[in-house]
Amino acid sequence: MNQIAENPFFVLGIGVDASRIEIEREANKLLGMLELDFAGAKTYLTPLGPRPRTAESVRAAVAALRDPYQRLVAEVWARHAPASQVVAVEPEAPIDDATEGARRALGWRP
Amino acid sequence: MATPPLGPLYVGIDLGTTNSAAAVFDGERVSVVRNAQGATVTPSVVRIDKQGRTTVGTRARRFIEQDPANTAAEFKRLMGTDRAIDFPAAGAKKKPEELSAEVLKALRQDIQDQLGVAVERAVISVPALFELPQSAATSEAARLAGFARVELLQEPIASALAAGWRADDDGGGTWLVFDLGGGTFDASLLETRDGLLRVVGHDGDNFLGGRDFDWVITEHLASQLSVVPSRKNPEHAAALRALRLAAEDAKIELSRGDRAQVTLAQPLAIDGQEVEVDLELTRATVERLCTPLVDRALEVCVRLLKANGLGPGKLAKIVLVGGPTVMPIVRQRVAAKLEAPIAEGHDPMTLVAQGAALYAATASLDGRAAAAAPTTGRQVWLQYPAVSSDLTPHVVGKFIGAEPPSRIKLVRTDGGWTSPEATIAPDGTFLMSVTLLPRRACTFELVATNGNERIAVSPPAITIVQGLTIGDPPLSRTLGVALANGHVQTYLERGAPLPARRTFTHHTVETVARGSKESVLRIPIVQGEMSQAHLCRLVGTLDIGGDTVTETVPTGSAVEVTIELDRGGRLAARALVPAINQVFEHVAHLLVPDAAPEALDASIRELRRQLMDLRTDAFRHGLTQVIEKLDHLEARLSEAERDIDAAHGGDADAAQRARRALLDVDATMAEADLARKWPELEGEARSLAIAASSTVGLHGSDAERALLQDVLAAMDKARREKDAAELERQMRLAQRLSSAAYNRTAEAWEWYFESAASEVSRATDLPRAHKLVTEGKQAVDRGDTESLRKVVKALWNLLPEDSESRKRGFDSGVR
Repeated sequence: MNQIAENPFFVLGIGVDASRIEIEREANKLLGMLELDFAGAKTYLTPLGPRPRTAESVRAAVAALRDPYQRLVAEVWARHAPASQVVAVEPEAPIDDATEGARRALGWRP
Repeated sequence: MATPPLGPLYVGIDLGTTNSAAAVFDGERVSVVRNAQGATVTPSVVRIDKQGRTTVGTRARRFIEQDPANTAAEFKRLMGTDRAIDFPAAGAKKKPEELSAEVLKALRQDIQDQLGVAVERAVISVPALFELPQSAATSEAARLAGFARVELLQEPIASALAAGWRADDDGGGTWLVFDLGGGTFDASLLETRDGLLRVVGHDGDNFLGGRDFDWVITEHLASQLSVVPSRKNPEHAAALRALRLAAEDAKIELSRGDRAQVTLAQPLAIDGQEVEVDLELTRATVERLCTPLVDRALEVCVRLLKANGLGPGKLAKIVLVGGPTVMPIVRQRVAAKLEAPIAEGHDPMTLVAQGAALYAATASLDGRAAAAAPTTGRQVWLQYPAVSSDLTPHVVGKFIGAEPPSRIKLVRTDGGWTSPEATIAPDGTFLMSVTLLPRRACTFELVATNGNERIAVSPPAITIVQGLTIGDPPLSRTLGVALANGHVQTYLERGAPLPARRTFTHHTVETVARGSKESVLRIPIVQGEMSQAHLCRLVGTLDIGGDTVTETVPTGSAVEVTIELDRGGRLAARALVPAINQVFEHVAHLLVPDAAPEALDASIRELRRQLMDLRTDAFRHGLTQVIEKLDHLEARLSEAERDIDAAHGGDADAAQRARRALLDVDATMAEADLARKWPELEGEARSLAIAASSTVGLHGSDAERALLQDVLAAMDKARREKDAAELERQMRLAQRLSSAAYNRTAEAWEWYFESAASEVSRATDLPRAHKLVTEGKQAVDRGDTESLRKVVKALWNLLPEDSESRKRGFDSGVR
């Protein structure tokens, strides 16, 4: 897991001091919004730029934050993340439309 | 027939080895479903008579002794195998899942008789350590029984949910579920906090259950007969079966009384002689016989507590699950050894089914198919948790069609709460939160308006239950792809929330020639916790055959493999080969491998030989910990030997037990072997700690440095505790952190390049490899690290794996 780009706190858009109930509530809300195709739920902000948010990434984030050790690690990374630094996302190598379509069908996340 | 309930109806089924049960949850109360005989449990026994009529449950169980050839029991243990069970009187052959389907049909009928509802969806519990083919067979059984949709849930989680649901104190504390079933033992450590149930840890013994208790009693009874029957002799099977049934009844009787008489109406036929059975069995004898088995389960519990930093006396309570836990000796020894109170008020026989019903609510799996009610009013698509531990969960909605109403509010039907009015966005979406009553099912009416005009909405109301919840079901065993070097690329770690999906890019190690049927690239999918593929179980393969590719796929081509598991643990895998833009999806779902007694004999001989070598070596070096581990294995092998004897006598179930036991022994020996290399490992750990500190210190980020400190502390702890497996795991983490930091430097790629270039004569495609070496040298001269990195990766793909490694990696065609 990329500890910054896929940090559970960034995925859920919550602070490192969020309580368990707040985490569950936020995750349920995001899962509902993603299911109903809310545009605002489809991306989340990270110090490396915006990332696509999926139901899987939300579920994985909640599961990680339920485990005290994984939560601690996520907190360390979230605290040390260069909050204000905006890094240009490296452009992806051009790929043809058909391959891109197949990749998306397979659930590939850039 | 009963009047169907109006509200939701969530169904849970415990499809057990010996007994099965069903329960329903209506949002507030869980009730256990009674069968036609008025019992809450139904024996998992199926009989097919000569007219082809099928009987299930208690009525079938009565025939186990009289007509064993046409009566099947304990078929759950054969789920996922291709072993068909014969019913000679009817001339029928049935697969284990077909027999399980008969049990499920009977339970489904019981629900219909009791509640007047033909349920189509349910949650079915499965053992925590079920393998994928066994889970797939369970889903198939449900389909055959007429269920349109089922979800599978691990038994320990089901019992924990049921036990936790009734807990009055939500104050938490850690507690243990001690689940001793017919064939397996599971220990789960749990905590409840803020209404959320969390599985802290799990351990178990896949080869310990009530049937072992029955067998020790049976063997004791057999030893007292004038002619002693043997499990090895197929002709003694009927006599042993009759004796075992009597032993089981006596065991149950001795849970209440001190003495039981074991008398059989008919004499047993053993070696042509008629042997009368009239023996006395005392509770003291049964307890003496069963104590070693109870202690074996307790060893697992102590190990689990220790692994989670808990000693005896630290548990808030213990929940007992499974028939054998009714025995007083089990309750006494468990409470005494773990120094914790046994939770009262739970029915150990139906707790799993109750938990499965509660889970069905969490998963919004109403037993009835969505009623095709006439829709009146504006349709709204809603998302909300059917069960919520949170007292103020969110409700998210979206109106379908153009021009949605402008405002909406939710009114709790008890009249105690109304939400503020929310504005509906022009695209029809809205988001609001509701207030629930603790431990109650709350219904909310949707009130939509346009100005002053009330707009009818479909659905008009929703129901949310407040109570204990558990998150997504966790994956029970790590899942990955076996590589050509004999190692495993982990895709989904044990505990990962389901459903889950992950993609990795691999590279082929051989060419798939277009049109050639013989040319097949294999991608083996394995389950297990070991990093070496041959110590994991092969659960499926994805084949890319020469007869299916549209163009030849050369060695080193990228293959993007996606593995996906649904909530019930069903596997799907796909591979995309970008070079030819083709997707391969057909996963050959393997069966649990056949366990031929002759193959088991050969395996056990080989394991005994390896065990002797390891033991000699451990004694020579005075490695006490390794010797202890090996002593335990000796006992396991002796047990497996008894099962192999029974397998020779035609007991397919014992053969499967032996196969799994041998695989486990093999994995434990690999760990013991690691411990044997302790001095070497400790030296490596020390060097790695120095190297990683220096690399991460120089090139790592702040977070990497902070994390390395954690890893080094964990390495130190594992070193002090002489825990070789944990030390190796932490070393892998340190190595990964160190590599991540080192790979950012130009020096790293120059070093990798030199190393790969020195092996170029072994490359599978020499001209291409030489060309890459030339390009690499030019990149080094230019100081172009990015190009050098690409060259190195391409070179790595051209270097072959040795054939022995590939064999260990189930002939994997990818790296």
